[in-house]
Amino acid sequence: MATKRVALAVGLLLVSSTIVAAAVCDQTRTSQAERDLWNTHGCWQAFFLWQYQAYDMRQGEWTGRGWEDACNQNMEYPKHWNASYLLTYGLADTWQFSFHGTIDYRGTAERWDNNYHDDIYHTPSDRTDIFGAWVYHFFGSNEVQTACPLYDPNVAPNANPGSRGGDFMHEGWHGWMDKYNWNNGSCAGHRCGPTGNCTVSNCDYFYFHGIGAYAFGAMWENDGTANRFHSPNQVQVEYLCDVSDFPQWWVPASVRQSAQVDANQRASQRFINGPGYFCGSPRPW
Amino acid sequence: MFRLCVATVFLLGSILVAQEKPQPPAPHPYPPQSKEPPGPPASELDNKHREAKVPSLNVPEQDARAAVNSFITWASASDVRQREEVRRMIAASRENKPVSAALCEEAFQAREKDHSRAVVVLSLLGEMRSETGGECLGRFLHLPFPEKGTVIDGEIVEQTALGTLQAKAVDGLAYLHSRSGDEAVLWAVSKHPSRIVRAEAIEAYLWNHNYSAEARSVLESRVRENERIFLDRVHRDPAEPAESFNQKLAEYLKEHPEAVAPQPTHAKQKRRPQDDSDQPPSR
Repeated sequence: MATKRVALAVGLLLVSSTIVAAAVCDQTRTSQAERDLWNTHGCWQAFFLWQYQAYDMRQGEWTGRGWEDACNQNMEYPKHWNASYLLTYGLADTWQFSFHGTIDYRGTAERWDNNYHDDIYHTPSDRTDIFGAWVYHFFGSNEVQTACPLYDPNVAPNANPGSRGGDFMHEGWHGWMDKYNWNNGSCAGHRCGPTGNCTVSNCDYFYFHGIGAYAFGAMWENDGTANRFHSPNQVQVEYLCDVSDFPQWWVPASVRQSAQVDANQRASQRFINGPGYFCGSPRPW
Repeated sequence: MFRLCVATVFLLGSILVAQEKPQPPAPHPYPPQSKEPPGPPASELDNKHREAKVPSLNVPEQDARAAVNSFITWASASDVRQREEVRRMIAASRENKPVSAALCEEAFQAREKDHSRAVVVLSLLGEMRSETGGECLGRFLHLPFPEKGTVIDGEIVEQTALGTLQAKAVDGLAYLHSRSGDEAVLWAVSKHPSRIVRAEAIEAYLWNHNYSAEARSVLESRVRENERIFLDRVHRDPAEPAESFNQKLAEYLKEHPEAVAPQPTHAKQKRRPQDDSDQPPSR
């Protein structure tokens, strides 16, 4: 059996090494929120040279997507690390107000086997019918895919750094579900919808909790009951709320507003026992 | 021969051990590269941002379009500490019809090409509280809602895109605190085809009427039967202390036991976690 596994692994390795991904998503444009965030850090090489390792991003998958042009903000790899920058530095982490801390969100997004998931690596996808996907691999790290609608502003409103980081949370949380062996349903890891107050096809429950219920660094915890638990869409909404409402002072208005818009539409549509929290103020500015 | 056997056993053993616990791969020999030289540190960019000249909206009519474009770009990049400055500047242009007309034009154009910019423009129009701006937001709210498009997770993404922008238009209409604005919001509460817009309309109406019993009563007669729970939705106000929010949440869950999620279920046997993450460079 072990010999078969080794042979299969070697075979897959050889096949995958011959594949060079070719991007088909539009990589000639960028959104206002993308540019605004980018202008807060510019071409920070030390960061992207850390980021590609922290997210286990591999040349084969990102060639033609900005791997060789990592400060061209029109391309997918720079957009990916732009979102990571927001996730890594952009939250105020005020325990009196924030749902969770940077330590939780980083733990969910980054590659290393930790309390939040087993090892993961990040890849791009040219699909336009998903935002992202979490893919289980029998050998090695599991995979977090992020797709066209998170990069191409022609395709979806989610092509902004806040929503992209929100998807890192969502897919990463499927990894949490897998690590602790929770069953979240049979429709792409969600309950099939529409059902209850969920109007889309992939639905979750919202496990409501107060502010301060989780110390920073404890979002992964659960007590085996609905009292202390999270679903993928919920973690995504809470991250987007924290970006919108409790960011670092330098996070641009366009990034905060896009995060709020995404949080509230998601909270209104994706929860069987919804709606989730309404984040932020209805005051226009 | 003996050495060869030992080496073979060692090699096979290493492969089997590696299989038992897959290791994260080493850093790639071909890391990402930039065609640009490294930029200045973030602290320098922060200073540059702070020192940037605020574009004026007090310009001759023929320059209004260009001035508005510059203002939008500045406001979009503005930070948390500049929130009141943006509010003051846009309020000072309330009676400036060429400015509100240019904002309106940009809202319709940005909608087609850049959702995040459209959100910013609609927010500015709403904050302006002008008659021209209100008329524009009303027209935006009644843009035809798409029935077909790209389906992601069972939602038509073109509907979500327009719905979220129309929800932003609703925020501005509610903030007008005018009869016509309220009528438009109440129309959206019951008649808009998107739940995103209906939900925002309910929250915006309540917030702009200080969550009064009267406002709730008005909404009760308009809200769809299966969306009554939105009247009680828990609102995470950024300025609200944890104690108050937590109490509000507890009351909500007591009043709406159906909003309490059922117990989660396991798929298979539990495994043991461990933590070995690494750190990014300091900002």
